Amino acid sequence: MEGMLLLIAILLPAAGALMLTLMPWLNERREDRCLFVGAILVMECVVVALVALDGQRTLVLFKMTEQLPIALRSDGTSRIFSAVMALMWTVSGFFSFSYMKHEQNEKSYYAFYLMTLASLMALTLSGTMVTMYLFFELMTFISVPMVLHTRTKEAVAAGIKYLIYSVAGATMGLMGIFILTPNISSAYFVEGGSLLAGSLTISKDAFLVVIFITLVGFGTKAGMFPMHGWLPTAHPVAPAPASAVLSGVITKAGVLCIFRMVFYVIGADFIRGTWVQWALLGCATVTVFMGSMLALREKVLKKRLAYSSVSQVSYVLCGLYMLDTMALDGALLQLVFHALTKDALFLCAGAIIFKTGITRVEEMHGLGRRMPWTMWMFAVCAISLVGIPPLGGFIAKWYIAEGALSTGAPVFSWLVPIVLLISAILTAAYLLPPSVSAFFGGMADGEAVSALPKAEPSLMMLVPIFILSLAILLLGIFPNFMIESFTRLANALM
Amino acid sequence: MEGLTLLAAIALPIAAGALLPVVRWKGRAARDAYILCLTILTTVLATVAIFGNFPRLSLIQFNDRLSFALKLDGIGRLFAGLIALLWPLTTLYALGYMRGTQKEISFFAFFLMSYGISLGIAMSANLVTLYIFYEMLSLSTLPLVMQKGDSGSIRAGLKYLYYSLGGAAFAFIGLVYLVYFGGTTNFVPGGLFRGVAVEHTAQLRLGYLLCFLGFSVKAAVFPVHGWLPTASVAPTPVTALLHAVAVVKSGVFAILRVTYFSFGALVIRASYAQYIPLALTCFTIVFGCSMALKEKHLKRRLAYSTVSNLSYILFGALLLTGQGLAAGLLHLVFHALMKITLFLIAGVYNDRAGIHEVGELHGIGRDWPVLSAAFALGSLAMTGIPPFIGFISKWALAQAAVLSGGLLPYLGLTALLVSALLTGIYLLVPSTFIFIGRRPGNAPGTKPVETEIRISLAALTALMLAAGFFSRPLVDFITRAASGLV
Repeated sequence: MEGMLLLIAILLPAAGALMLTLMPWLNERREDRCLFVGAILVMECVVVALVALDGQRTLVLFKMTEQLPIALRSDGTSRIFSAVMALMWTVSGFFSFSYMKHEQNEKSYYAFYLMTLASLMALTLSGTMVTMYLFFELMTFISVPMVLHTRTKEAVAAGIKYLIYSVAGATMGLMGIFILTPNISSAYFVEGGSLLAGSLTISKDAFLVVIFITLVGFGTKAGMFPMHGWLPTAHPVAPAPASAVLSGVITKAGVLCIFRMVFYVIGADFIRGTWVQWALLGCATVTVFMGSMLALREKVLKKRLAYSSVSQVSYVLCGLYMLDTMALDGALLQLVFHALTKDALFLCAGAIIFKTGITRVEEMHGLGRRMPWTMWMFAVCAISLVGIPPLGGFIAKWYIAEGALSTGAPVFSWLVPIVLLISAILTAAYLLPPSVSAFFGGMADGEAVSALPKAEPSLMMLVPIFILSLAILLLGIFPNFMIESFTRLANALM
Repeated sequence: MEGLTLLAAIALPIAAGALLPVVRWKGRAARDAYILCLTILTTVLATVAIFGNFPRLSLIQFNDRLSFALKLDGIGRLFAGLIALLWPLTTLYALGYMRGTQKEISFFAFFLMSYGISLGIAMSANLVTLYIFYEMLSLSTLPLVMQKGDSGSIRAGLKYLYYSLGGAAFAFIGLVYLVYFGGTTNFVPGGLFRGVAVEHTAQLRLGYLLCFLGFSVKAAVFPVHGWLPTASVAPTPVTALLHAVAVVKSGVFAILRVTYFSFGALVIRASYAQYIPLALTCFTIVFGCSMALKEKHLKRRLAYSTVSNLSYILFGALLLTGQGLAAGLLHLVFHALMKITLFLIAGVYNDRAGIHEVGELHGIGRDWPVLSAAFALGSLAMTGIPPFIGFISKWALAQAAVLSGGLLPYLGLTALLVSALLTGIYLLVPSTFIFIGRRPGNAPGTKPVETEIRISLAALTALMLAAGFFSRPLVDFITRAASGLV
């Protein structure tokens, strides 16, 4: 059956999760469990690759009513998002095999981990707005247990905050879906949008308000101001590999929904030049700046990284909302590189916690001598996040900034590059000092530091981080194949 | 006298209920079998009545304008079918739930009678007949509310009685307007004034408003919703079936009848008689949810949720479009399925684990994983997450609102969304705690759950889930029933 592969991409991790829950013998020994989860993750990557190579497909699963088809679709957009998500999930999954040794409830962790992957895959492969909404909500509910994992008071409060923010955002999105549905020509996603702009059921002004609320709603998952409040609370309380995927991957689910709504339903032309574009750009730029400022103030490493995500994901949105081919290229590059970088940084933070118990930035003095490999990779990722060539972060920011300048949009064509620059400086200020002090800090009382034992984590933890760092370096030097495919996609959408 | 099947479906449970306290029962098993068999027999009769095409049965002619008559049409079939489907399942639950409680016999006697009376409401051929059954339902369910017999439940019962009778009095005035200006109380699809030059529009609109306000008491529209949360002191089968389905939806059903079959959309449309009810329902949607959020008592929280959801139905119907009516009817059915499941599970929590407040739910999922999973699924459906049924009807309501356009429909749409969000908070957050929390050490232990309760809950949950995937026949039926009424 045509498009069956799409279903397999979703059902494979779901079946894995189910088997973990229903077959206790599989979950008894850590080795068995890790082997099983690892196998599922690798197979999932293969399936995602096959889906990507298979070309564009649509598969209607069932129809809730005649107007409500639940359908899957693989296309250029789903290819990028599902590839990034599956790879990040696999790498973090392998990291957690060692990391989760020191956490409780290891058994239930992997079931939810795989379930969340399944819902994410379903989200990327959604073919209609309602399908997307369905899996967006589902992903929220399934990922809540990852936040709640430690069952501490703090974690429970964070989980509830996450739940409420997400449901609120989804509800705002749902309003848009409700009002958009009678105004589009096709229930399925259409490249370039399917809005019947000529015959809207309500006035254009009211319609723009609706679009604004919808996009702000979906922006919740991406941590965009004014719906960002949950992110710095929820991400750090999860176990490190879960934080890594929450921050590096799940935030992109919000971006995906916005991407689908803007380019596959509403159409870029309808928004371009309206106040909605400026307002959304305003929100995104505010978020870029604010996230960096808050990260600078924060002393707990994982929280700092979470605030950094608030800022960095909004880079993507800045690029997206410029509604320009080149800026969109930049947005997609930033999406890929932020996923890689933030994943690696969180995993580094996890390795540090795992081996030394250090959680605060100022305690990282001299850490470079105790775990040199980890801290080297931390530094590489930090440099990429700041945006220093030749690492990946640079090329992404370059494209966003150049794209912004080339649009000639009022105010934002120069404001966005400037804010990007300021944020880069702030990023340097909050990420480079810890890296520097890790290597050079404590020189004065060197003996005290070198007396501390080596704390390099095992290869099981180092290799995933290493792969990510290497990818950042290589893709930063050879980004052309990505840029070409992103440009093709961007041209098709605008 | 073919139409006697209709009468039989109504009379059988009433007679059976009246007989129950009279007979000397040898043992519990015989009595339980009697109750269950007669309930099922009634359902069979009702099913025959629904699927057969029986002519109008005119029983008593009071005068040339008023008569007592029965007939089943599209929306009548829908309501009767819903009742006939849920009553046996709830009775099964009640047989387990009420076992060994005081006044068990009187409970089932009135419970059986209420079945017949509810069917009577669905099968009424004119407003007078409907009104008679409507009043009878108030009276027959009163002892059920007061079942416990303590001061709280007696007060709740009296409150229910005053509200109901007061509302019925209002409706009665409206009815007089209708008879005086319309000449008949018979139900005519599309209203009495279809295709006729309407005189006395002003009076008719006032009469409609009075009817709406009167019947809206049972439909728990703000500001006359107060009795419903209070009445949740009743035993759970009553709260679940009567206060989430039969009684409250008979209020909704009566409003649908006067709107589409008596006064007609033509008279009401684009006047204060449409706007005031519409505004009230919009407000009630948000109000009910807000109160539910504030309420810590589990059953009362669900009752407030019902307040909100009943207004969803009325909102759809009062849009006065075919789509709006169809969406409202769809929600009437779907809300019944969801809410009855939630209530019945809450009853198990309540009675078998001593949980009354939402905060006490923590960790109960460890003791009862399957039951709690069903509760969580019900909560997801109530919130309106696809692919569960709640989403389908909310989608239909929202589409109807968007297509009809205008200020109030959009206000209603916003209300729906706010309500969805609040529902998410007041049901999904507790559902999360059910699984992740820990039972406090001093919490009372859980008691075993009877097989009857398990079967009934399994059936209802399966029904609720299946309806999400196989809703098409129902949607088609409702669309047919709703077409031609506007």
